[in-house]
Amino acid sequence: MRWALTLLLALLAGIGALYGLTDGFTVLTAESARRQEVALAPRDLQDARIIDGQGRVSSLHSELQADGRVAIVNFFYTRCISLCLAQGYVTQRLQAAIKAAGLDSHVRLLSISFDPRDRGPDLNRYASGMHADPAVWQFRAFEQPRQGAALLKQFGIIVVPAVLGDFEHNAALHVVTSDGRLARIVDIDEPGLALQVAKALSASRTASRLRDMRELRGLAAVGGSRKEEAQ
Amino acid sequence: MIRCRPPSVFAALALLCLGVALGAYRPLTSLMSLHMLVQIPLLALAGVFTELAARRRRKTSADGASDAKRGPWSCNEYGVPGLLLASLIGTAWMIPKALDDALTDWRVAAFKYVGLPAAGWVLSASLRLAPAVIKLFFLGNFCWMAAIVGMLYLDQPVRLCNAYLLDDQDWAGRGLIALAIILPLGWLLTEIRPIWRFISR
Repeated sequence: MRWALTLLLALLAGIGALYGLTDGFTVLTAESARRQEVALAPRDLQDARIIDGQGRVSSLHSELQADGRVAIVNFFYTRCISLCLAQGYVTQRLQAAIKAAGLDSHVRLLSISFDPRDRGPDLNRYASGMHADPAVWQFRAFEQPRQGAALLKQFGIIVVPAVLGDFEHNAALHVVTSDGRLARIVDIDEPGLALQVAKALSASRTASRLRDMRELRGLAAVGGSRKEEAQ
Repeated sequence: MIRCRPPSVFAALALLCLGVALGAYRPLTSLMSLHMLVQIPLLALAGVFTELAARRRRKTSADGASDAKRGPWSCNEYGVPGLLLASLIGTAWMIPKALDDALTDWRVAAFKYVGLPAAGWVLSASLRLAPAVIKLFFLGNFCWMAAIVGMLYLDQPVRLCNAYLLDDQDWAGRGLIALAIILPLGWLLTEIRPIWRFISR
C-alpha cells in the first residue's frame, strides 16, 4: 500500500516537473514558449533610446506613438551574413506586400540593430543595400547597449556571440502597436500572418478611435442640446 | 570492488562532482553539449556519491545489521518508485526549453541544482533495491529516449535552444547517442554475473 502511494507520488512529481517545464505540455523550446506567452498575454514594452541613420536620438515609445502605425519589428546587426540576410529578404518581401496592398498608412517595418558597433552610417548602408523605402521600412540602433539589452530581454531575444565577431540570435517578426505593446510574435517563415495580425490590430485601433470620436461627438451633441434647453 | 571503499572516498567524489559543477558554472553552461552532458550528469553523480557515502556510514554505525529493505526505503520496494522519478527527471533535462530556462529562470535553475542531486540520491538508493530486470527496463527506456532525442537534435536544421549555437546542438545530439551506447555497455559490465546466470539457466 505504502509502495503504491510512493509510486503515485513519484509519478506525480515527475509528471509535474515535465508539466512545469513544458508550460503544460504545450511547448518544447524556449522560442515557442515566448511566442505563446506573448500571444496569450501581450507585453507592455519598456522604453529605450534609439538612434536613426542620421544619428538622431529619440525614444522608442515616442517614435512608435508619433508614427501611429502598427510596426512589424525585427532584430538584426548589419555585419550579419546568415540569418539576418534571410530575415532581411523576408522583410523586403513584406515591404513589397505592404505597398502592393496599400497598407503603408497602417503598417510599417522597423529593423533594430542589437550590435553596439552599428551607428548611423552602418544603418544607412544596410538600408540602401536592402532597397528599403524609408516611408515603410526604418532602421534603428540602440544608443546605449545596456538599455538595449533590457529591451531585448523583454522581447525574449537572446544574442549569443559566435566565432569571428558574429552573433547568433533568434529571429522572428514582432508585431508592436503604437502604444508600445508587443502584441504577437510570428515566425519569419510566415510574413503573411504577421501582416494579417498587424492589419487586424491597426483596424481594431482605428475602429476604437472612431468609436471614441463618435462618443465624443455624441457627448458634444448632448452638451449642445443641454445648452439649447438652457436657452 | 565498490563495497570495500570507505565512505570518505564517496564523500570526496561527491564534493568533487558538486565542486566542478558549481565552480565551473560559466564554462560548463557556455556550450549546450557541456551543459547537458557534463554539468547535469555531474550534479546527479554528486547525489549518487552522497547516497553511497551516507549508506556506508549508516552501515558501519549500525554494524551492518540493518537490511536495506527495512531501512527508510521500505516504501521504495524494488526501487520502482525511485527509478520512475529519476527517469522522469532525466527526461525533463532532455527538453531544450529546460536548458534555456535553467540560464534565465531562477525556478528552473533551482530545480537543476537541487533536483538533480536529489534525483541522483534517489537513483542510487533505488538501484540497490532493484532486481536486474527492473534495472534493465528503466535503463532501456532511458537509453532509447536519449538516442531518439540525440537523433532529433542532430536532425534539426534550426536551433532548439536560444542560448546555444547550432553546431553545439549537433554535438549534444552526438553525445546523447554516445550516452545511449555507453550506459548499457557499462551496466552490462557491472551486472555481468547475474546476466550470465540468467542466460546459462
